[in-house]
Parts: sequence; structure tokens; C-alpha cells
Amino acid sequence: MSGQNIAFLIVLIAAVGFFSYNIQRLVGYLRLGKPENRLDSPGRRTWNLITIGFAQTKILREFAAGLSHASVFWGFLVLTAGTAEILLHGVWPGFSYDAILPRPLWQLFMLSQELFAVVVLVAVSWLIWRRVMAPPKRLQGKEIHNAEAITILCVIGSLMLTLYTTGAFEYASQPTLRETQFGWFRPISTGLGVLFTGVNISALHSAHDISWWMHALLVLGFLNFLPYSKHLHVVSSLINVWFSNTSGPGQPGAMRPMDLEADVEQFGATDVDHLSWKNLLDGYSCTECGRCTAACPANITGKPLSPRKIVVDTRRRLMEKAPLLAGELDVPGSASLFLDAEGGKAALSNVLLDNYLTEDELWACTSCRACVTECPVSIDQLDIINELRRGLVLNEGRFPEEVQPTFESLETNASPWAFSPADRAQWSEGLNIPTCAEVFAAGKRPDILFWVGCMGSFDDRAKKITVAFARILQAAKIDFAILGQEETCHGDPARRLGNEYLYQTLAKGTIATLDRYEVQTIVTFCPHCFHQMGNEFPQLGGNYEVIHHSTYIERLLEAKLVPLNTEHGKTLTMTYHDSCYLGRYNDVYSAPREVLKRALPVLTLVEPARTESRGLCCGAGGGRMFVDEKIGKRINVERTEELVATGADVIAVACPFCMTMMTDGVAKLEKDVAVMDISEVVAQQLLVRS
Amino acid sequence: MANNILVVAETRGGDVRKVALEVVTAARALADGLGGEVHAIVFGASGIGSVAPKLGAAGADAVLVVEHEGLATYNAESVAATVAAQITSGGYRAALFGASALGQDLAPRIGAKLRVGVAADVVAVSADGGEIVVRHPMNTNKIIATLVLAATPALVSVRPGAVSVGSVAKAGAVRSVSPAMDPAAGRVKVTGVSMGGGAKLDLAEAPVIVSGGRGLKAAENFSLVEALAAAFGNAAVGATRAVTDDGWRPHSDQIGQTGRQVSPDLYVAVGISGAIQHIAGMRNSKTIVAINKDKDAPIFKVADYGIVGDAFEIVPVLTAAVKAARAQQ
Repeated sequence: MSGQNIAFLIVLIAAVGFFSYNIQRLVGYLRLGKPENRLDSPGRRTWNLITIGFAQTKILREFAAGLSHASVFWGFLVLTAGTAEILLHGVWPGFSYDAILPRPLWQLFMLSQELFAVVVLVAVSWLIWRRVMAPPKRLQGKEIHNAEAITILCVIGSLMLTLYTTGAFEYASQPTLRETQFGWFRPISTGLGVLFTGVNISALHSAHDISWWMHALLVLGFLNFLPYSKHLHVVSSLINVWFSNTSGPGQPGAMRPMDLEADVEQFGATDVDHLSWKNLLDGYSCTECGRCTAACPANITGKPLSPRKIVVDTRRRLMEKAPLLAGELDVPGSASLFLDAEGGKAALSNVLLDNYLTEDELWACTSCRACVTECPVSIDQLDIINELRRGLVLNEGRFPEEVQPTFESLETNASPWAFSPADRAQWSEGLNIPTCAEVFAAGKRPDILFWVGCMGSFDDRAKKITVAFARILQAAKIDFAILGQEETCHGDPARRLGNEYLYQTLAKGTIATLDRYEVQTIVTFCPHCFHQMGNEFPQLGGNYEVIHHSTYIERLLEAKLVPLNTEHGKTLTMTYHDSCYLGRYNDVYSAPREVLKRALPVLTLVEPARTESRGLCCGAGGGRMFVDEKIGKRINVERTEELVATGADVIAVACPFCMTMMTDGVAKLEKDVAVMDISEVVAQQLLVRS
Repeated sequence: MANNILVVAETRGGDVRKVALEVVTAARALADGLGGEVHAIVFGASGIGSVAPKLGAAGADAVLVVEHEGLATYNAESVAATVAAQITSGGYRAALFGASALGQDLAPRIGAKLRVGVAADVVAVSADGGEIVVRHPMNTNKIIATLVLAATPALVSVRPGAVSVGSVAKAGAVRSVSPAMDPAAGRVKVTGVSMGGGAKLDLAEAPVIVSGGRGLKAAENFSLVEALAAAFGNAAVGATRAVTDDGWRPHSDQIGQTGRQVSPDLYVAVGISGAIQHIAGMRNSKTIVAINKDKDAPIFKVADYGIVGDAFEIVPVLTAAVKAARAQQ
């Protein structure tokens, strides 16, 4: 073992030791978060790791940047094997894969190293060019750590270059190795090496050593820079993907269950230690790419909410608070680079809610799930927002004053609007639709329950959807009933607005009613009811098969159970606006489109710029229906402009809230475009029975 | 004496508020039923006694005037002490308040001092065979409780707008009264009063509201609505959420689920389609008139009178007609 080997061994031990110290420190900080079991469904989690993690499916949603990242990522996976050899070689000169691998396999391995390094170099060059010359909007602004990003990209590039130069100088300085160690399987090192043949041998030896050391030190330096930077995601994101619930397991988009009987002083969150350890791991995993913020309807329309800032602030606050609690304050260098200010004990009295995030940011969220859908590493920004809203409402009683009538109506009328329960079934007068009570009194059970929802019961525009869907069910001779006056709001608006207590009261009441009538299958045209009863009721012991009317009508049409007029008049151009709670929450994208195509065989269906999982929210979700939109452009106007730009005669929707928002948007733009629910399109085509 | 009624008459800016006259009217009917007199008590800086004729015109036999520089703004401790002392020394059968922010603060204080309960936010008060009977709406007006008040004195706060101001004029004889507690001795010092959303108060009290929606197409077209409101003379201007969110009108003008919930005698909806957001705030209006060019607009489902047509043509005609009708009165 030479002096160089001993020197490198010392450097290696120091570097790895410091890295593990930092990792232990960061893992320790996670313990500040609340415990939560994320070990369920290992199969699904591993599948997520393979697809979202290794196959990079989510980052590839933006193709050019995605492919560049994937190239670097896959390159790193391949090159790490080579790096391990290089580091071991530095300590133990006799070590080489050549000695342990069959020759053809070893040659293939060497070729992979050389070629992937090219791929990485090209990708890194493009990424640097983009950062400097043509940054997308999400990578502009003072919040962006451009210098850090470019430094990292340069380090990666330098790693590739020194990989080649080390090989090239080895080729030139050791002619005896050329036969066995070089050739077609190391094309670039060999090619570069040929250029240096003939240069002074001892100079080449020195150049090789310098190049090797540079490469090794860059690797170890990079490793130790990670815990202090947003590039910590290199370490944490695969782990984060495995533990994440954003693509399942768990019901998609279901809010966290909450035990209101628990003996705790804090409901929801106002600071990082009220969040779960997974929310904190999200903070480690964010590399500030901003895809969430670029997709956020509130951010797009000029509101203060940025989902990226929610996650980054969670991390910054953790990095401020955790060292203080861990008593590391006096250890130099322990407070991380994330800590902007001097830190100090005064920071302990800070809280995430007010010192980092404002109420305006939290109430701007429409819970549309665009941020969660876009995040390449499966961070759940919405979960943090929801917990903070709960903290605001349940712990501090802080919410926009205009929400109060909604909470009051939910309490006294079991509807967000103060209408009398007695008027719920007014729309059904003369339609001969039985209530569950009537069917039960006759000693029968209906096949399905038509859940009307509060919009469908009380909003005069939505009542037309209710009637249209009821007529389709009748035309298809479906045995169905409604709850009528016994229907009550399930509390979803209260839950989204942070009022978990009110939500659980209403949800439990609804479940009791459903169980009393032995309900098994529910059909509804409101995506919010659909999501709440299908995905969140199980938390409270309510288990039903809940079907959205888009899926249900599609099935009826497919089975040819609905007698439709096959004559078609004017050929219509339609565009369909995706509802968030139908699409991103429940992956129902094709059913409503299929319904339109089957109902109108000569239909021209055009898609807006943002569609399906990328669709823009109407602005009414997350309880925003009941909060004034005082800041920025109105989201419904932004969305309607986009839909109208398709040139469609009709905007089709599958949600009564979207209906309200799009109708208002069309009125604002003074366009002669109709807004119709998909069931109204079908009902228009019904063969009227004599 | 034993059947006299004391009314705490609320003032603002040196004048009586409408709710004070409503409560005096309610007290007049109650006193007539019981065979007693109505005495109104007003608090304010010197000169507040000038409101006595108005209270007399509404039915007050006597007006107790408490003038003190420390009472220029509402002083809960001194007013409560004075009213309680008057009720006791005057042997009043009942004391009536407006169920306004001030009345809802004051009545319980006096109830606590006198060890009696308060019938809060009632919509009707009457005498029935020597007993005081009130009607109190519950569960957002879906049921109404009828209560017989057994205690003496009976303390009642009357919902603003529930009683129309009457015209049974009485003497309104002025009597000066000293505060039972020096306003300056209180623990609360009022350093200033900042009025928020003055327009909101107008909306809540206005007997007529003219509201505009998206159909007006632009902020400047609200002049049409303002002209119609001005023609009524007693009308306030409201707006839908779409309009206030777009900044055409201030948020304090918004009527609906997330704005004001109003129930005027007459509500005129101009260019309003009638989304549930808006209907939730105005459907309890006594008479609703809707003007909209879309005959299928949901607003017509709640309207008593509907005019299908262009608001830009109809509103000026309506404005002229209202002006002409009022000129004839």
C-alpha cells in the first residue's frame, strides 16, 4: 500500500464518516414529525418505486427536461458501479472488476461506462444551457437557487470529463496496459489516450494521478454537499417515492383520517412537529423544480399560493427548529445551509403557519391535486396544506369570515346553503321517482340509490342536471330511489375547509341514513359526493359501491339500455372540461368523453390546451366555492378562455360546481357557448316515450 | 307604573338609529296592551336630547335623556349601570333593546345585574292577558318559539327590521337623568371608533335593494342600478359575487352565501342569473323583481315578478316610472 493509498484511505473514511453523520442528523430530525405507518402495501409501493422512481414516468411528463433528467439519473445508476471500483481501487490498487468478471461481461461494463458518460455530458450541457439561456417561468425569480443548480451540473460534467481523462492518461502513460485494458470497449478513453502518446511519461503519470484524485475528490465532495443542498433529493427521492401515498396505496386523494377523541392538544398543524415524518421527508426530497407551482391554478392566476414554497418552507422551518430542539445549537456547522438568518433561540418561538406561510396562501388552494400529480418524486403538497387548514380552523378558529354562513348552514340545515331539507326533492315533483322510505314501506329494496347532492337539490341550474340524469335512469328502466328529504350533506366542503369536526358529524349522520336503508350501490353526478362517499367514507366505517354518473351512463350506453334518437341534426363541436375530483382524484377521464361520443355519433370532440390529468381546475374545489376570490385573476375565467379558444359550441362538464364556474366564465366573456352536463347531452337524445 | 316599558334607544352620530324607532313602536303596542307608558332612554354627549321629538313621534310618552361628554361613544359599564338603576327605581315591567351589536352587548349585562334572563333577538312582542309573549325564530327561521316571559323585569331584544316604525305619536316629554356611574370611572376606555363596511349596514337596514350582476357587463354600467336605487329614495345597491370578485363593486356590497344575507321589503335583481351563491343571500326578501334577458335564468324561479328583456332598456324606464310614482305621492 503506497503513501497515496493511505492518504486516500484517510480522505475516504473522513468523507464517508461526515456523510453518515449528516444523514443520521437528518433522519433524527424526521423523528420530530408525528409517527405514521407507511409500511402497508409493500407491493404497490415497490411498483411505484420501479415506475415513478427508476422508470422516471412522472418526470417524463415534461418530455425534454424529463429525458435530460432521466439520462443523468440512469447514467448515474450505471456509473455508480464504476465509481465504486474507482474508490476501492484507490485504497487497494490490486482491485479491479477485470479480475472478477468474465472478460466479455467486463468489456460490456466498460463500454456502458464510456457511453453513459457521453449521455450524461450531453444532458448536463443541455440543462446548463436551459438554466442560463432559456429558463422556463418556474425556474425564474429570486426564490430559485440557480448558482447551486449550475454548480451541481458543472460538478457532474466534471466527473464525466475526469473519468475520460483518467482513462486517457492511463492509456498514454502505461503502454503495457494498452493491449488488455483498452480497445473498442473504451472508445473515448482510448481515442483521447492516443492523442497523448509521445508526451513525457512522468508528466503523464502525474497527469493521471491528478485526474484520478480530482475525480475521486469530486465524488466525495458531491456526496458531502448533498445534505446541505436541495440536491439532497439524490439521496431521499427514491425512498420518498416508496413511502408516498400520492399514487396509492390508500384511497387516492383521501384526506388523512383524524381521531377527534384523541387526547391531544393540537388538531391539524401549525408547525412542523405537528406534521407527520413523511411530510418532513417530502421537504428533503424537493429539488425545487417548480412543476407543482407551474401547474397550480391559484399560482397561475396570480394568487400567493405556491405549492413549491409550501414544501420548501416546511423544510426551512424544520432546519430551523430541529437543530434547536436537538440541542445542536452550539456545534459549529451543524445548523444547515438552509437556515437563512442567524438562527438563534428566538427562532424557537417561530411557527410554520405565520412566520413562513400566510393564511392567504393556504385558503387559495382549490385542492385540485395538480401539484401532487406533477411532482416527479411524489411529494404530497396538498396533505401539508390540508393539515395547516385544519390547524387554522380547529385550533385557532381562523378562517375567512365569509365561510361562516356555510359552516352555520351545514350545522343547522345539513347543506352548505340555508335551504330547508323539506325542499330537497322539489325537483322530482311529477316525475314519479320513489324515495327509499317509500320503497322500504312497500317491503322492497331499490337496486341503486341516486344520490342527488346539495347542488342538485337546491341550485336551479343544477336541478336540470338532476332531472336529466333521472330521465336517463327511467328510460333505461333502472330500479332506483332517492333519499329525498332524508338526504344530508356528507360534510365534504367542511372537511376541505379544515372543519373536521363538522365534517365527521355530517358524514356519520349520512352513513347512518345509508345503512338504515341497507344501501349498497350509489350513483351520483357530483364528483365531490362521488369522491367523498367512495374514497373517504371507509375511514368512518361507510363502505358502499359509489359510481359517478359518467361511468354509469357509459355502461348503460354500452349495454344499449338507453333508447336514443339516432337522427342527428347539426354537427356539434364540443370540448370537455375535466373535473379534478373525477379526473386527478379518481382517474376517470375516458368515461365522460365516451358518453358524449356514444350519445352524439357525429360529434367533433376538441381538447383544450390543458386537459385530462393536466386539466385546469374550475376554481370551486377545496371549499373555494364558499370563499371569495379577492386576489388575482378569477380561475374560472382563465379556464373558460382556454375552453372557448377551442372553438367549441358547447362546453361539456360532469360536475355541478364546474357548471356554475364555467357558466359564469362564459357570461363574463360574453360568448355564445352553451355549458352542459354530459347527462343533459344524453337526455336531449332520448327517444321520448309516447 | 308597574306596566311601564323602558326602551333603550340606540343613537349613532347624534341621531337615533332606525332600530330604536322600531323598538319604540314595539314597546308602544306592548304598553297599550298592558296599560302602561313607554319611556325611551337615550345616551350621548350634550345635545342628544334633540332626538326626543323623533322618539315621541314613534310612540314614546317620555324620553329620559342622559347627557355626558363621556357618553359620546357607547360606554357599556356606565350605560348598563344607569339602565339597571332606572329599571329598578322606575319599577318598569319590561325593558326593550334592539338586537343590534350594541343591544346584544347591553341586554345581558343588565340581565346579570338584575338577575333576570333576556329574550334575545325576538321578532314579535305582545301582551296577552297581562303576560308578555315573544316570538323567537330558531334554526335559521325554520321554527318559531313562542315564549311567555315570567320574570319581572322582562328584558327583550328585538330583531332589526322585524317591526315597521309606527306613527302613534305621544308627548315625548324630556326628562334629564344623570348617569348612575361616572363614564370616566369605567375599566374600558374608548380611544376611537373605526367604522368598517358602512355599505353593509346600509344593505342590512335598507327596505329596498337594487342589485346588479354579470349582465351589466361593465363596472360603469352600475350607474343604471344606482339611478334606480336613487329613484326609490330608500334603496341600497347590492351586487353578486362575480361582480365583486371582478372588482366592479367593493366586496362589502356583495349579497349572497359569502356576502350579506338580506331580506328587504323589495329586492330588484338586474342582470343576475340566480346561481345558488346569490339566491342563498336574498331569497327571504319579501318581494323579488328580476330583470334578465334569459327567460330560463334560475332567478325567475324565486322572483315574484319577472321581466324578460334587456336591462339597459328596462332599467331606465323603470327608474322613470318610480320617479313619477313618487312625485305623485
